[in-house]
Amino acid sequence: MRDGRFRLAGTLVLLLLLAALVFGWRQAAAVQQERTAAQAIARAAWTSQGDKNPHIAAHYGMYVFKPSGTLAFLDPGADPYLGVTLKLQAHEQELPQDSAAQDATAIDRFGQLSAAAVLQLLVPLLIIALGFAMWSGERERGTLRLLAATGVKPPRLLAGKVLGLTVALALLLLPAVALAAVTLVAGVESGAGLRLAALVPVYTAYFGVVVAVTLVASALAPSSRAALVALVGFWCATALIVPRAASDLAARVVPLPTTAQLTETVHEAIAKGLPGQPREDRIETLSKALLKRHGFEGAETMMDDALLQGIELQAEADFENEVFDHHLGALMARMDRQEQVAQWAAALSPFLAIRSLSMALAGTDFAHHRAFQHQAEAFRRGLVQAMNDDFAKNAGAAGWDYKANRKLWQQAKPFSFQVPGVAWVLAEQRVAAGMLALWLLAATAAAVWAARRMRVT
Amino acid sequence: MAAVLEAIALRKAYGDVVALHGLDLRIEAGEVFCLLGANGAGKTTTIQLFLGFIAPTSGSARILDLDVATHALETKRHIAYIPENVMLYPNLTGLENLEFFTTLAGRKDLGAKALADTLLRAGLSVEAAGRRVGTYSKGMRQKVGIAMAMAKGARALLLDEPTSGLDPKGSNEFSRLLETMSADGVGILMATHDIFRSKEIGTRVGIMKHGVLVACMATRDLSHADLERIYLEHMHD
Ligand SMILES: Nc1ncnc2c1ncn2[C@@H]1O[C@H](COP(=O)(O)OP(=O)(O)OP(=O)(O)O)[C@@H](O)[C@H]1O
Ligand SMILES: [Mg+2]
Repeated sequence: MRDGRFRLAGTLVLLLLLAALVFGWRQAAAVQQERTAAQAIARAAWTSQGDKNPHIAAHYGMYVFKPSGTLAFLDPGADPYLGVTLKLQAHEQELPQDSAAQDATAIDRFGQLSAAAVLQLLVPLLIIALGFAMWSGERERGTLRLLAATGVKPPRLLAGKVLGLTVALALLLLPAVALAAVTLVAGVESGAGLRLAALVPVYTAYFGVVVAVTLVASALAPSSRAALVALVGFWCATALIVPRAASDLAARVVPLPTTAQLTETVHEAIAKGLPGQPREDRIETLSKALLKRHGFEGAETMMDDALLQGIELQAEADFENEVFDHHLGALMARMDRQEQVAQWAAALSPFLAIRSLSMALAGTDFAHHRAFQHQAEAFRRGLVQAMNDDFAKNAGAAGWDYKANRKLWQQAKPFSFQVPGVAWVLAEQRVAAGMLALWLLAATAAAVWAARRMRVT
Repeated sequence: MAAVLEAIALRKAYGDVVALHGLDLRIEAGEVFCLLGANGAGKTTTIQLFLGFIAPTSGSARILDLDVATHALETKRHIAYIPENVMLYPNLTGLENLEFFTTLAGRKDLGAKALADTLLRAGLSVEAAGRRVGTYSKGMRQKVGIAMAMAKGARALLLDEPTSGLDPKGSNEFSRLLETMSADGVGILMATHDIFRSKEIGTRVGIMKHGVLVACMATRDLSHADLERIYLEHMHD
């Protein structure tokens, strides 16, 4: 530990980490600024649109933007692969694009220098470099015999080794953690502090796993060289091979339709209706239900055209929503299952567990994206309904010539994404969290066992 | 009284190679037993069995009546080990090394003063004790090894060719230290190739050949020449 062999490597990783944090933060800030500006422009375009029929306005629709989370600078996660804009309009729910990003392996993540990539991929290599000779080196130098002859309990020696590695790592990571905390204070967002606080133990557990595995290999391998080879092999397997295999497996077990297929299915269902319920029948049922809800049951003949028109439009929208719910719900469920496969695959790779947990806590995973889509869709339905209601209520004899004005546009509240809380994240990530905890337990137990039974000479 | 070191039908085999064939041996407090034998005779194997670094194939190695195999940590409380090359941490001073190893051995009670005194008794000057071990000669490191044994209050000392490579003066100083420890009642088992030293400091000498203790005699009744003759007779054929 005392010699400076690894200072260079350590300093390099630290610099890389700091650079990743600074650039990541600046980029995230720029992106956030862009999105806020774009959101403001989109809002202005909506409120300042000229007088027009409310249903037509709903057709033109509006754009909403996914805010980049405060912690996105730590772990951009799947964000770079996912859209940030949704166009909300009548009759259309924007369909999710092919999520090719799920196939992204560790190699892809080297491409974008992020703090998460440094922490998840490079820091383990540094731990391996610092620790692979901790037992085997002492055995090779001959000091292990003297240590063993003192009669000290092996777990105590092990604790000393872990402490040594921890101090080295802490020296390395503290500046980075401090920087992350400082940058956070700059952009306070409720929940972000809590998320950062949750990231700390999660990463600590991950590093703990790597430290323990390193010490197991160092204790059991016949030589330091063999320990190093085994550990680099472990790194390759868990950071490169298993994630790749897991995404292939997920795609095989739970195949997703392509965007083209999905578009076709949905549009066909909208044209013809869902199986067993032709479009026209269903719309009629829905419009009856609407009439009943508004208290016009059986009074159609006495109602003015515009009102009927409005009700009709809303019934159509309701029908379309049912189709979207049916098909997109199924798709979301499949995506969810794919991610579950990836989380379970963390049984074979602690890297998968930390990757999943880290981007979930950073708010940049698929689940957050789906939450955004979900909220945006609910907002779209509310907006379309408000427009149709206004049409029904106020058009009167003017019918399609009726025009609503600025007052109505302004009544529609702007969309704002409610970031889910930490508890929701942890519930989503319970499998990954459980796997990480299991890894930590098993690796620690193995390290203690290996320290007890390793060869002395 | 229980023997400090005792081997009962102690046997160690590596696959087909039998390194030690059922050794029976008792070493009492204050005794110095020197184990002679050609390369590969099984001397190191015997010592490592007492240290518990390797497990016996059958039989038992006992320290103060405790089986090493079942009381691995407890038996180590009573022994000290000095290999051919006492390897220490080169970046620490002699005193810091001693402090580190005695603390691990459970003697936290010894202050820096007591440890420095111990090093002095082992023949290491105050100036040398404060220097980095990286600058030490082999003889100086062996002295730190002896100091570790003294500070620990070991009842038995296991030495594996501790003086090989030491100059005659260093070797002589080392022998004096062993005599002091023996006088204090420490039982000593030393593997060596040095017939002269064996006669000098050993109370008994054993000759090992192909894993068998073929001769065992008290040095009191022997001359150097006798011992050398007997050794060579055994090494013949
Ligand atoms: N790990 C091992 N695997 C197989 N054979 C071994 C092993 N260790 C020792 N041996 C064999 O056991 C026998 C006894 O070896 P040991 O080291 O005890 O000899 P020694 O008397 O100490 O020799 P030397 O004087 O060279 O130190 C030798 O034949 C050696 O080859
Ligand atoms: Mg030997």
